[in-house]
Amino acid sequence: MVVAEQTPPAVDRPRPATAPPRTGWRKHWHLYAAISPFYLLFLAFGLIPVGFSLYLSLHRWDGLGSMEWAGLTQYQYLFTDTDFWQSIGTTLIIWALATFPMIFLAMVTAVMLNSAVRFKNAYRFAYFLPNVTSVVAVAIVFGSVFSTNFGLVNALLQAVGLDQVAWLNTPWGIKVAIATLMTWQWTGYNAIIFLAGLQTIPGDLYEAARIDGAGPVQTFFRITLPLLRPTLLFVLVVSTVTGLQSFSEPQVLLQTTANESTFSGGPDHAGRTMVLYFFQQTFDNNDFGYGAAVAWGIFLVVVLFSIINWRLVQRRGEQ
Amino acid sequence: MRLSRRGLLRAGLAGTAATALGGLASGCAVPTGSTGRNMVLWYWSGGLSDTVVKKAKARYGGSVDLDAIQIGGYYRSKLITTLAGRAHIPDIAGLRGEDMASYLPNADQFVDLRTLGAEKLKDRYLDWKWQQAVAPDGSLIGLPIDVGPVVHYYQPAVYERGGLPHEAADVSRELDTWEKFFAAGERLKKRLPGTYILTDVVSVFEMSIGQGTTRFVDEDRHFIGDGPHVRACWDRAVEAKRRGIVSDIVAGTPDSISATEKGTLPSQLNASWAAGDLKLAYPKTKGRWRVADCPGGPSNVGGSFLAITKACREPERAFEIISWMLDARNQAQGFVDAGLFPSTPASYGMPKLREPDPFFGGQITMDVFGPAAEKIPVAFNSPYDIALGQPIRDEIKNVGVLGKDPAKAWEDAMGKCRRIAKHLGVTF
Repeated sequence: MVVAEQTPPAVDRPRPATAPPRTGWRKHWHLYAAISPFYLLFLAFGLIPVGFSLYLSLHRWDGLGSMEWAGLTQYQYLFTDTDFWQSIGTTLIIWALATFPMIFLAMVTAVMLNSAVRFKNAYRFAYFLPNVTSVVAVAIVFGSVFSTNFGLVNALLQAVGLDQVAWLNTPWGIKVAIATLMTWQWTGYNAIIFLAGLQTIPGDLYEAARIDGAGPVQTFFRITLPLLRPTLLFVLVVSTVTGLQSFSEPQVLLQTTANESTFSGGPDHAGRTMVLYFFQQTFDNNDFGYGAAVAWGIFLVVVLFSIINWRLVQRRGEQ
Repeated sequence: MRLSRRGLLRAGLAGTAATALGGLASGCAVPTGSTGRNMVLWYWSGGLSDTVVKKAKARYGGSVDLDAIQIGGYYRSKLITTLAGRAHIPDIAGLRGEDMASYLPNADQFVDLRTLGAEKLKDRYLDWKWQQAVAPDGSLIGLPIDVGPVVHYYQPAVYERGGLPHEAADVSRELDTWEKFFAAGERLKKRLPGTYILTDVVSVFEMSIGQGTTRFVDEDRHFIGDGPHVRACWDRAVEAKRRGIVSDIVAGTPDSISATEKGTLPSQLNASWAAGDLKLAYPKTKGRWRVADCPGGPSNVGGSFLAITKACREPERAFEIISWMLDARNQAQGFVDAGLFPSTPASYGMPKLREPDPFFGGQITMDVFGPAAEKIPVAFNSPYDIALGQPIRDEIKNVGVLGKDPAKAWEDAMGKCRRIAKHLGVTF
């Protein structure tokens, strides 16, 4: 039996009868062998690189030459590095600007789709489409949309008598533009997930509510929302993890002239998210050791916020 | 059914341990570099002339199978990953000009071309470009593919309406210093409101740095970005902002495309390869451009090299191939095919390169590019240059785009440089 190429399953040959009675894993080796491919691949392409990046973060390395032991100096620098702290702030602001409108819109969309509409599948497809569009293509389009003189957004603002905003030239404008892009991309995806959650809610609950005389708003807050909590939790955690790792959106949206670094994040580093900063340190400055330390910093931040999210949603449920 | 986490972990670990022994113990030999007839060349899209690559394959096909691969995406990180992994290393590798500083300290990854007789070819190439491939220990790690002399692209019709010189020779002569160029920008803005001679302040800073012989870090790993030469470039960029001759349009947006086509952004200070970008981005403006000398003297942006890696088993043959691919005739072909400006002065006189260019109104652009390429100053480019130049670039951008107070911006830039220098072990 060959499980995968190049990874013949390491199995104990059946022992002669004189062997001691089999216990634990020996009895079930074939089960372990069956699940081993994933673990092997995860070990080779997940765990070992992760371990290596930890090892790397304790060194100075330019990516080619010899590694110098640096101990914890990279981490010491990380904690005093104002640029890194700024990038955390930037990421969180963009994440908040993107996630809350997105969850709200996704919820509304899902509830609307869940009520009896025709062409349900066509709508689902349409809402899901942004998610499978290439981020790079999207960012180029959004660059046009947020353009100062000929952008769609400013055209709309002027149509209702407001002033133009130099979106891609002001720190807040850049953040809003990136957040809008992310919202646009993920709303449909999360709406589909909410929709799946909505469809698990038994219909007789709604019927009972109707008989008791609850209005649509009451029904939503008293029945739909509480029962959707697991789904909401899932969506929040996933959005946190993806949102805090945003990279391509600012990178492509703020791509400037050829003789400027693309990883600066625009004026005042307004769009330099954590991962963009990691990328700049590693691949622009060839500072691989520090880049690895930044990556671990990002890891800690993401874990921290996932836990906070989890707690918040859990706590709300217990009340 | 509830799965206990501990049980799951235990199972996972046991499974992993059991299978890891079998899976990872088979240490396999991975080929490095060429094997026999096969020779691999890595470059990127547009990095070499397709015609020359094809010809090289045919020419050397009798003895080697030259396999030229275009590597997409972030080229340098893929190359150093491969070099660090010590497997499947190409025999010949293109090295981008902006990455040279980071390759030089690791010259031991490449064959010293002096050992293959490169000195004999030294006269073929521009001396300053040749120097860019010389490592601190004196070894030569690559032969130049191309260079990127910076020129002043402009739309003569707009300059004429603005009361400026508009014939290429006149522009080169009368706008030969930054001061005259700025004054012209003011006149242009007064005559044609809404027209800006500069697209951004960063380019003024960048080109000014390139016109000097020192950058941000010297050979002794000492930070010199606080020196008078950098300060002069900074002040010049601030000056451009103060005089209000810099547009606030973001490059690459529909705004900038429209402004360029309308003529409200009639000029660009940019490298030779930007001519190709102009032709691609603004086909409608064909015939409405000319090139003149860059104010303040020539500088360079970009320009790449071909190197032979240590993994190559037949360096002599590889050297034969690259020295043929990068001779004057083939570099001329590179200019025709891919806009790669030759690093071999002998190419500049070839009829192929002296043809009038209809996009530039029939101008023979080589008359501007050629002399600029030959006069570019040599500057030491430290591997720490990018990291320590970036804060200064970022802050000049803040001055230009956000109107930050220049004195405060300079102070912030220096503060950041001091911190980064300390972290990188560069003396301040």
